[in-house]
Amino acid sequence: MDFQKISFVVTEGIAEVGLGFKCDKSLPLLDKETLKELDEALNLVKEREQEGSVKGVLFFSHHKRAFLAGVDIQLISDCKTESEGAEGAEKGQSLFNKIEDLSIPSICCVHGLCLGGGLELALSCDRIIASDSQSTFLGLPEVKLGLIPGFGGTFRLPRKIGLPKALDAILSGKNIYSKKAKRMGLVEGIFPKERVVTMARVLLDEAPKSKSFKESLENLASDNFLARKIVFQKARETVLRKTQGFYQAPLKILDVIESGFSKGRSSYLAMEAQAFGELCSSGQSQNLQHLFFLNEASKKVPKNYDSGKKPKELNRGAVIGAGVMGAGICWLMAKNKMYPHLVDLTFDALEAGIKQSSHYFLSQVKRKRMSYDELHILQSSITTQTNMKALGQCNLIVESVVEDLEVKKKLLQDLEDNVSDDAILASNTSSLGISEMAKNLKKPERFAGLHFFNPVPKMPLVEIVTHEKTSKETILSLHNWCLRGKKTPIIVKDGPGFLVNRILAPYLNEAGHLMAEGVSPRLIEDACLNYGMPMGPIRLLDEIGQNVASKVAFILQEKLGERLKPSSLMKDWEASDFQGRKNSKGFYEYDEKGAEIDFSEAFLKVLPSPAKPMNEIEIQMRIFLPMINEAAFILEEKIVEHASTVDLALIYGIGFPPFRGGLLKYADQEGLERILEALIDFSKNVNQERYAPSPLLKKLVADKKKFYD
Amino acid sequence: MPNQDVFLVEGKRTPQVKSGFDLKDVSAPFMGVPLLRCLLDLNNIDEMSVDEVILGNTEAPPQYANVARVMALMAGLDSSVSAYTVHRNCASGMEAISQAFLKIKGMRSHIILAGGVENMSQMPLIYSKEMSELFIRVNKSKGLSEKIKALTQFRPPHLSPIIALEQGLTDPLCHLNMGQTAELLAREHNISREEQDTFANRSHSLALKASEGGVFVDEIVPILVGQKRDRLLRTDIGPRRNSTVDSLLKLKPHFEKKSGTVTVGNSCSVTDGGSLCLLASSDAVKKFKLDPMARVVDFSFTGLSPERMGMGPLSAIDQILNRNELKLDDIDLFEINEAFAAQVLCVLKGLEDEKLAKEYGLKKAWGKIPYEKLNVNGGGIALGHPVGSSGSRIVVTLSHELKRRKGRYGLASLCIGGGQGGALLIENLHS
Repeated sequence: MDFQKISFVVTEGIAEVGLGFKCDKSLPLLDKETLKELDEALNLVKEREQEGSVKGVLFFSHHKRAFLAGVDIQLISDCKTESEGAEGAEKGQSLFNKIEDLSIPSICCVHGLCLGGGLELALSCDRIIASDSQSTFLGLPEVKLGLIPGFGGTFRLPRKIGLPKALDAILSGKNIYSKKAKRMGLVEGIFPKERVVTMARVLLDEAPKSKSFKESLENLASDNFLARKIVFQKARETVLRKTQGFYQAPLKILDVIESGFSKGRSSYLAMEAQAFGELCSSGQSQNLQHLFFLNEASKKVPKNYDSGKKPKELNRGAVIGAGVMGAGICWLMAKNKMYPHLVDLTFDALEAGIKQSSHYFLSQVKRKRMSYDELHILQSSITTQTNMKALGQCNLIVESVVEDLEVKKKLLQDLEDNVSDDAILASNTSSLGISEMAKNLKKPERFAGLHFFNPVPKMPLVEIVTHEKTSKETILSLHNWCLRGKKTPIIVKDGPGFLVNRILAPYLNEAGHLMAEGVSPRLIEDACLNYGMPMGPIRLLDEIGQNVASKVAFILQEKLGERLKPSSLMKDWEASDFQGRKNSKGFYEYDEKGAEIDFSEAFLKVLPSPAKPMNEIEIQMRIFLPMINEAAFILEEKIVEHASTVDLALIYGIGFPPFRGGLLKYADQEGLERILEALIDFSKNVNQERYAPSPLLKKLVADKKKFYD
Repeated sequence: MPNQDVFLVEGKRTPQVKSGFDLKDVSAPFMGVPLLRCLLDLNNIDEMSVDEVILGNTEAPPQYANVARVMALMAGLDSSVSAYTVHRNCASGMEAISQAFLKIKGMRSHIILAGGVENMSQMPLIYSKEMSELFIRVNKSKGLSEKIKALTQFRPPHLSPIIALEQGLTDPLCHLNMGQTAELLAREHNISREEQDTFANRSHSLALKASEGGVFVDEIVPILVGQKRDRLLRTDIGPRRNSTVDSLLKLKPHFEKKSGTVTVGNSCSVTDGGSLCLLASSDAVKKFKLDPMARVVDFSFTGLSPERMGMGPLSAIDQILNRNELKLDDIDLFEINEAFAAQVLCVLKGLEDEKLAKEYGLKKAWGKIPYEKLNVNGGGIALGHPVGSSGSRIVVTLSHELKRRKGRYGLASLCIGGGQGGALLIENLHS
């Protein structure tokens, strides 16, 4: 037998199956050929088992940082119907059953990531051992794609590590690092990566350890009807709290595990396969898979900007301006060992920035992602200064000073004289024109916008804003840098509000218009939350600060016209001292811990009365349709090339609900024709300018096309 | 023998803080990090071009055996850069600079970072010998019964700790602690309590004036402090605002309670801090277009009896002046570390008094150091004496003040616990 995807040798009576052999992808996957070859390899093992020439089987990976990254998502997304999905799952299940049913001992050696189908393979072996490397982790992330692990994972994991821990792992889809995996009994031992296979051979000769006293006790505790019922109930409550009931996969997973718990393997697996089929053909899972592909695509070098040259490695940074955003960017640089300089006019400002950065590190310490020692080393790597000296070694300088064009222009010119010739300059402006800033620079080609979102540690999106003269090398270097910092970069052309803030504007504006018409703020918030937004527009205004939001809103109106006219209330807010949470004068009142209590009296007083009733769907249409319309304008102006960039940006930039697949994916699914009709209707009955449909939308409808065509 | 000039490109220090205050959470290596970053970045030198890092440190923190190496890696220097830690008690920082001087002078190196770091707040309490032995016995014994048997030998007094700091400041041969050696000098050479307190008061008022007048701004690098590293410290904490000779006179003698004259008020305080100098060869100066503050001319170390360690500077200054054929008048500025007022006053006396000079083995007296040239921005009594760092801290302060005054020669000297003296001579290149 000639294997292409896996290696298969028998030495000293041990069959060794090596995955990721001659791997041409970045990570080894269970694709069609691999599954087929595994099946053939197992048949060979079975034959020799009967001959008596093989006394054990061992799985390992040739790949440097992965055992198996799971089933090829392409394979899953090709399953269009329930039965196709279920059939696919059954194939995998029967393959892994073969491993489980071997009469000779089997062992799996995990080094690097081992996810989804990879872990399900490992679970079908008698034993799992792992390397102690920090890059070794195991997990069943299927739930994040709106799926149930379909190759027997939900059957075998609870039996391996107990129900409560297994539910937690399957429902959260989180990664389990090797030390923790050892503690929870998922892997039997951890060894240095060079020794794992050697140890596996040794262990194959030994009888497996019997369960410890503690494990038996735990089993006893969870292995009775009553305890199980409580565990499932708790898990269900947690899922509903975390997902607000928007996601069907975790509930389905719970149903399958609970109703199949006392069933035998074959009938359980049939249920699992059935559930997998249902989920994988559902719209929700397809949306989440769509997002997965968008995410993967964002990690690749953008083709339009590929100049063939290697991107410059940005390894020393500086941030000018120690405000909240500046401190956030400085934190990111410190975290990525860039020994950043933090520059501001006064030491008081610097100290505020330092506090912010320390706060971000500290929250990692509190979540046990970092030790105090690491905090000390990373935080102490920040150099503070009140002048522009000593920046000669920096190759990325980001300005984040006050949003004032003249101030920024002057600062950038000063910077040019103080940094090395090949340093990249970037501005973290959210509302000012990048092209305008670039005008007076001696070397505009090394300048771009780098728009982060607040708070920097939590928000994955970064908009790289280009102007006409930005060089490909600059764009690529920034893109590469963002990826190294575990951020999701998108490349957008300069334009008012760039991409995210421009689409966010109608979200906030329309909420204001609705309130001005007398719609109750509670109704507006609920309509958005029920749509799946993480935060209603009114709450979001508190977070941004009404004064900041108004300022940006009026700039956008000035540049883009009456379509983005802010509500009449905005003017009042700008004049009043509503600054949201910053000065504790927002629309909401908050308790000491910062959780919202209710709308503040002062805010409710300024709203018009009497209240105007409106149903939820109408509110949602009034808010989300102008966003779709604005996105169409953006595509038309070629701010970004493709609808997918809009969708990715909104999901990572404002938390647009992932299960909807993105704003424009949602629009495609709803039907552009209906959307256009509704917009025309609103433009007649509510406001002509704000709802005037974009030419692109009209054209798409006329051509019977979609955003994603 | 090959020979080239050695340049002091620039020196920087952290704020000096009385132990137990703002720097207490900042372990020794962390004190060097902002200094190293600042010196390299200000002079636009990349992390690969440094030949070596040498740091003085006496506390030897158990978790950072080679403080210099830990500091260099924390500060982002390339792992190929060598680093080591030196210990010559109070002159450890000066020893570091001296070694850098020799290596550059001998054309073996081009760029060396040398200085000292000390966190005296973090000096440990040590288990007594009896307790340590008990631990070892328990560890060695096999089986529970043997372990219990070993443990029965425990007695509560075993728990009384040894304070490493106190032990470190006591000479193991003459069994005097440093304060007592100062008392001995005061007694032998008739230095009165009033003289000592007047000198101490001068130190406080000069340091305060310098601090408030922004004199230290050029030499101090702000440092992140606190367990969360969320505060920024940029001024010394030590000089007393309300110090007067009268208030100092009210303090009780600390080392000889009844008849003594040395008090905590006229001694240096236990202090945390770090200092670092960027030293370069003439080739490196050209290559990196550096603008050095000074040239390092020479250094000297001498020895004397441990119980009179405070007189160390006398012989060291004598040696360095002789070797470089200079007169006392040629020196425009002196930094003599103030371990104790009594000790500095004795050194001044010895330089001036023929009989005393000969008593300490000098061929002649050198003359008087006028107060206008001595520790003009205060000294260890006000600013504190972080042992491993002071030897380079006084060089840092000396170089900045010498540049400000446009003087030519500057001399830094200090007494060294265990009975030694050290001196280092620099020549200002901005006069």
